[in-house]
Amino acid sequence: MRWNKGLLLAFALAASVVAYSQSPVLVHRQKYAMGTVFEIASYGASSGALSSALDEALQEAVRLDQIMSDYRADSELSRLNRGAFSVAQAVSPDLYRVIEIALEYSKLSGGRFDITVGPLAAYWKSVMRGERARSAADESKLRGCVGYGHVILRPPDRVEFRCPSTRIDLGAIGKGFAVDRIVEVLRRRGVSNALVNAGGSTLYGMGHPPGEGAWRVVVKDMGDGKTQVLLSEDSLSTSKQSAPSMLGDRKSGHLVDPLTGEPVATSMTVAVLARTATDSDALSTALLLVGTQRATQLITDSSALGALWISSTGQLEVVSKTPVKWLADARAEETPLEQKAQR
Amino acid sequence: MRLTKLVPAVLSFLLVPPVWGRVFLRWSLEAVPAAERLGVRDLVISWDPAKLDLFRNAARQGYRVYAQTDPGQVAAVARSAAKARITGVLINPGDSSRTSIAGGMRRLRATYPALDFLVLNPGAVQPKMRGTMVLNRNGVLQATSPTAQPWIDTNLALVRLDQALFPGQLPVYSFSWDLSGAAKEAGPDLADYALATAEAGAFGSAVLLSLHEPLARGLADNEASAWSLWREEREYLRFYSGRGRRPAEPAVAVIADDDPASFEPINLLVRHNVAVRVFSPPRVSGVELAKYPVVVALASPTPSQVRILADRARNGGTVVVLNLNKASYPWQSSPASQNNGTSVSFQPGTGKVIELLQPISDPESFAQDIRALIPDNKLGLSLWNALTVIGVMYNGQTENIVELLNYAADPLDVQVRVKGTYTSVKLETPEHGCCVLLKPSAEDGFTEFAVPSLYISGRLHLIRKARR
Repeated sequence: MRWNKGLLLAFALAASVVAYSQSPVLVHRQKYAMGTVFEIASYGASSGALSSALDEALQEAVRLDQIMSDYRADSELSRLNRGAFSVAQAVSPDLYRVIEIALEYSKLSGGRFDITVGPLAAYWKSVMRGERARSAADESKLRGCVGYGHVILRPPDRVEFRCPSTRIDLGAIGKGFAVDRIVEVLRRRGVSNALVNAGGSTLYGMGHPPGEGAWRVVVKDMGDGKTQVLLSEDSLSTSKQSAPSMLGDRKSGHLVDPLTGEPVATSMTVAVLARTATDSDALSTALLLVGTQRATQLITDSSALGALWISSTGQLEVVSKTPVKWLADARAEETPLEQKAQR
Repeated sequence: MRLTKLVPAVLSFLLVPPVWGRVFLRWSLEAVPAAERLGVRDLVISWDPAKLDLFRNAARQGYRVYAQTDPGQVAAVARSAAKARITGVLINPGDSSRTSIAGGMRRLRATYPALDFLVLNPGAVQPKMRGTMVLNRNGVLQATSPTAQPWIDTNLALVRLDQALFPGQLPVYSFSWDLSGAAKEAGPDLADYALATAEAGAFGSAVLLSLHEPLARGLADNEASAWSLWREEREYLRFYSGRGRRPAEPAVAVIADDDPASFEPINLLVRHNVAVRVFSPPRVSGVELAKYPVVVALASPTPSQVRILADRARNGGTVVVLNLNKASYPWQSSPASQNNGTSVSFQPGTGKVIELLQPISDPESFAQDIRALIPDNKLGLSLWNALTVIGVMYNGQTENIVELLNYAADPLDVQVRVKGTYTSVKLETPEHGCCVLLKPSAEDGFTEFAVPSLYISGRLHLIRKARR
């Protein structure tokens, strides 16, 4: 699996009552990393200082890509995947921590969220592309080494695999982890109002835009687009199975259920609100895989604040731990962003 | 090679028209730097009969000067051409369709053979990598695509459609700079200008480039900061000022008319580096389509085209037909199988026809489906780790060329596989000139190599082993 999940989010900025000592400037920066586009939109007093902070923060995504990419042969993760069978490998604190969090979610979701499912996802991808025929023998062999139980953490910094073809793929959590690190850099650089976006599927709202109490986010598949999620010091991630083939009847989809070994068949979109992007990213995949019946329990047991299920017809189901203050209706009239920035 | 094979090969080579890119610079200031210094040959000035000195002055500075005007004024401009010393007329069709003014253009060309008449396509986009945040009228930052991949704004689909719908004419397009926040005031940076220049050069098209007003004024006033930026842009202008080349034949033919619904599927195909040749329906022929293993008919086929498509499928080709109206076709009597309720496959011979029964609601998925239909041995060019990169292949007599564009404008290592066995692969870039020798490895009739740190654009020279 590569760094891809559904890109289904839309974002809104609007007006509120925050007083700025001077007209804030809007700076927007983007960077290609982890096979997607990381973006930051931020308001501040000086475009020069803000640009410099945003550039430094985006460089964090590039740094983590060099650690967590399963595509780059020279990444730390690729080296781990090549050498961790029965020999514990020392890894960096970042890689150790993200694997540790991922394994916690694997336990929490009863094995549905699993960072070892990558080889099966790659297999289905090549079947979908017509590059190989489906083979029960291949599937059985691949499934033998899929399972988070094959990954052993040896504190403080070593990781070992118990199965020869176990491979870790951080595609379902890595972007969220990177967003959290980006937010840390921004905070260190004194940035307090920013929307950080990793490819549209995971984002984090810091502070709020001028004239607003929170960043407004619209999930693209959500009905008429009037319902908005309010983000302020929290994160929203969205997951959806990739679209089926229009011209063939092959099984398809980048999200594979590790328990069945096959692409999960669902047309639902799941959006998860959580305090950190790592949590929202991992949970959005986990919730899609566990299904709606077990989802409420998973939300209760996890750090999620709430979740949205959106059907293919745009119908909405909301689960929230707290009173649902994080959803709002879009205003009938909004003023252009540029004007807001000058208020 | 036997003569019977050589002659059609040579003929095919000669019949594909060569293409080359050009940059037209929009200018409105009275002072204009010399053409040689600016590195641009073609200057476009909005037509104003009261300001003929502006045109004459630009001509004196060494430019081929084009007057931009609307269809209603073309004849008047043409009559004043000699007085204004203009080379040609660039017609902005405005609300008129370009097809409707084509007849008028033919008459003007006949009347004024010394004048170059070009029709602008004003519907292009600023080439760039774009995330999902966009600022719209309501201040909404909005997702622009349901795809998991980075969104690339490229003009390749527009160029391919223009080449098909207006054959023999240089596709000339223009766009508005898409800048927001602080960048709006600062204007486009070097990467923006360079990528636009590289796109036109790589695609064999022409771009009408608008300079940010302070930059144009700075160049006119000889300001050091303006010329510092422009000196770097000149490297891109120089790099793409070469001679015309013949595009390599792709694996996919697309039959499309000017229906806007055809654009996005073609756009997604080229974004996925599925090279296509677009045919307008009147130009579809059995001889032409026989070259392509995959044929996609986005326009409704006429009875004669249905026969051509059926023939292509009988003889091993894969034909995808959009059949939203449940039309009857001859292949429907052959063995059929349903696919997910969205399409039906027929096997009328050694090939197949896939009828798509629903509109292409997800062009991303559609493009991936088409990519999967291409036989592996027919893929001329494949790129990996290159979601922001587009490659275009050209055939030459001594070497083949691949033009690469990186819309991320950020150094990227790209893995390349090209069909054919090449003993030498060289990389030439606007920034570093010619050439870095790459390390090719050959396997199963393909050559693979890595392009290191592709910044904005580069040109690969693929050289076969010399024949004795």
